[in-house]
Amino acid sequence: MEPLIDVNRSLRECTSLSPSAPIWQDILAQAMTGEILAAMNYTSLSEICDDPAEVADALEHSECERGHAAAFAAEGGKIGVDVANNVGAKHWKRLREAFLRCITERDFIGCLIVQEIMLESFAVASYSRVGKVGPGSLGETFARIAAEEGEHVDHAMSILRAERARDAQRFDDKVYRLHLDVMTTLAKMLAKECKDGHCEVCHANCVKPSLFEVSLSAAELRGASLQQYLKTLDLLGIPGEVTLTWITQLPV
Amino acid sequence: MDNSVASVATPARTIGVDLPLSVDFALIGHQESWRAAADVLAVLRGPERTPLPDDEIKDILPWIPPRAVCHVDVGSIVRTKSGGARARGLYIDSFIPPDRLEAAYVHENIARVRKAAACAIQAGAKIVSLGGFSSILIEGNFDQLPERRDTVFTTGNTLTVAFIVQGIQKMCALEGRNLRRSTLLIVGATGDVGSGCARCLAPIVKRVLLSARNLERLHKLAAELQADGVQVEIATDLQQFSAEADVVICAASLASPSLLLGRIASDAIVCDAGYPKNLSPTAEMLDAKVFFGGLGQITGGMKFTPDFHGVLNRHPFPDVVHGCLLEGMALALEHRFEPFSQGRGFITQERVAEIETIAARHGIYLAPLYNADGPLEDGLDARWNGREDESIGRKTKTKSNSVARYFGRRENWPAYPIFAPGVNTDR
Repeated sequence: MEPLIDVNRSLRECTSLSPSAPIWQDILAQAMTGEILAAMNYTSLSEICDDPAEVADALEHSECERGHAAAFAAEGGKIGVDVANNVGAKHWKRLREAFLRCITERDFIGCLIVQEIMLESFAVASYSRVGKVGPGSLGETFARIAAEEGEHVDHAMSILRAERARDAQRFDDKVYRLHLDVMTTLAKMLAKECKDGHCEVCHANCVKPSLFEVSLSAAELRGASLQQYLKTLDLLGIPGEVTLTWITQLPV
Repeated sequence: MDNSVASVATPARTIGVDLPLSVDFALIGHQESWRAAADVLAVLRGPERTPLPDDEIKDILPWIPPRAVCHVDVGSIVRTKSGGARARGLYIDSFIPPDRLEAAYVHENIARVRKAAACAIQAGAKIVSLGGFSSILIEGNFDQLPERRDTVFTTGNTLTVAFIVQGIQKMCALEGRNLRRSTLLIVGATGDVGSGCARCLAPIVKRVLLSARNLERLHKLAAELQADGVQVEIATDLQQFSAEADVVICAASLASPSLLLGRIASDAIVCDAGYPKNLSPTAEMLDAKVFFGGLGQITGGMKFTPDFHGVLNRHPFPDVVHGCLLEGMALALEHRFEPFSQGRGFITQERVAEIETIAARHGIYLAPLYNADGPLEDGLDARWNGREDESIGRKTKTKSNSVARYFGRRENWPAYPIFAPGVNTDR
């Protein structure tokens, strides 16, 4: 897949920008990277689908995610910043590798769990929060994309619920295994501080300590994301006391 | 009870732990302090992981949707052919943050209680006890609870009143006081618990002082008691009473321990029945006999899965639980799936006697008395028959050194604020 934005391209000078522009730049960069990764994941998923309708569906989703990435890039342009993306950044790379392991195993259900339950839960929740505080069209774009991602999740839920109905124990075991792999990485990404060093997506220093300047906080984004994840797992029918244990055991 | 398990449970299908799917009762509660919340999360996190730092807990907990935390298996002393009768239940935490109990958060908290109630209904609970602020929030508005077909809700306030009254009687006996010569002050008197205590104790004390915020309700309660010949004084301000109380019940719905009693007898017997506790830690009552009221003890056994013993019930004695939650358990053991306590102002002596009898039949009695400094008596001889007159004049010093039997050294005692999932206050 071709990157939408050349990661090596130098960022525009931010000296004449609004004080919050560099913060939005990094928020957009994280979102855009997530969308590009999602597009790559759906393209990979199409390669293991047997049913032509499923292939078409996966490719359509991929295009949709590319469109989201382009929309985030455009919002950067409106506030005078280039929006970088880096799917090779350490955390995003691990998430991609987790998805690719499911692809290697031709595990369609595993792919849906990673992308729709875990990654999209975080996207829907964090985009929604950003949508509430983002200025003008930037906020509107985040809110619109949050709603569209929510529709993706709804689509996958019916497939996953049917799968769970066939063998709940097996399904829950699979979700837990993937949870340990994927959610541990997501939890580190959303920790209040990046303890493992620079995330390789923010254009300079870590954006987290500055989020309060745009009425956000890392704690709020993490909390909302975990809540969305728990609610999604509830809708799947996984017992609440079990998922509660899962999330309390995540790294902080 | 004619079988060993109050309902037939389906074998577990959850990960790692064998848990039943269907339950007889559910207990809805919340944590009264951040320390208590931290302990719950520490158990869930497991001993092999570093406990979450306090700031992380305060960040994360408000985002957790209401959900089951553990299963609770309670035993009765009623024997059957297959052993002791038992009932299975769930503890559901509404995850109301301990610092968000104020009125400003009422709508948010009602939504949490509704979601917790939905969890109980979904789990198939036949009876649900609403602990702590859960019942205050829903009190008189049970129609705000989710639609349910086979699940009933009880505030549990009647059994709470029973244990408060028993505690007062027992403490008077232990201290050699004659309750009939006492002036009783009830703070939070117009609440369900406060008014229930007034109806039960007014006939057996010399004088009653009623305090609450709502003057109209105070007048109404006073009129009700005066009609029975009780000497009653009311005030919205504790300083306005003309007499000093020597027996006090604190049953106000306070978001944090902040009550200063002011002018009471220096050696007054004071029952703090609040959840969270009512009395301010700064209250100076050096000679007062303070104890935590409304608590009962299960003698037929109680099991948490996963093991939350000493975490969900932080008391210096085993198997102690707040009366409001015990009411649901007792009714489940009795197979009486009915909304025993609902609304405000319906607790009578007769209803209190009825729930006391049901609880006692299953081995649920008044808990040994204790306060923030530890036990006030020997927990191994805790059963109290409630007849205070037998002890009048026979002064028995309250004990404070028997805790070692359960917890060893004092530093191992559960720390104040004492926690258990819910006691009803000012209802």
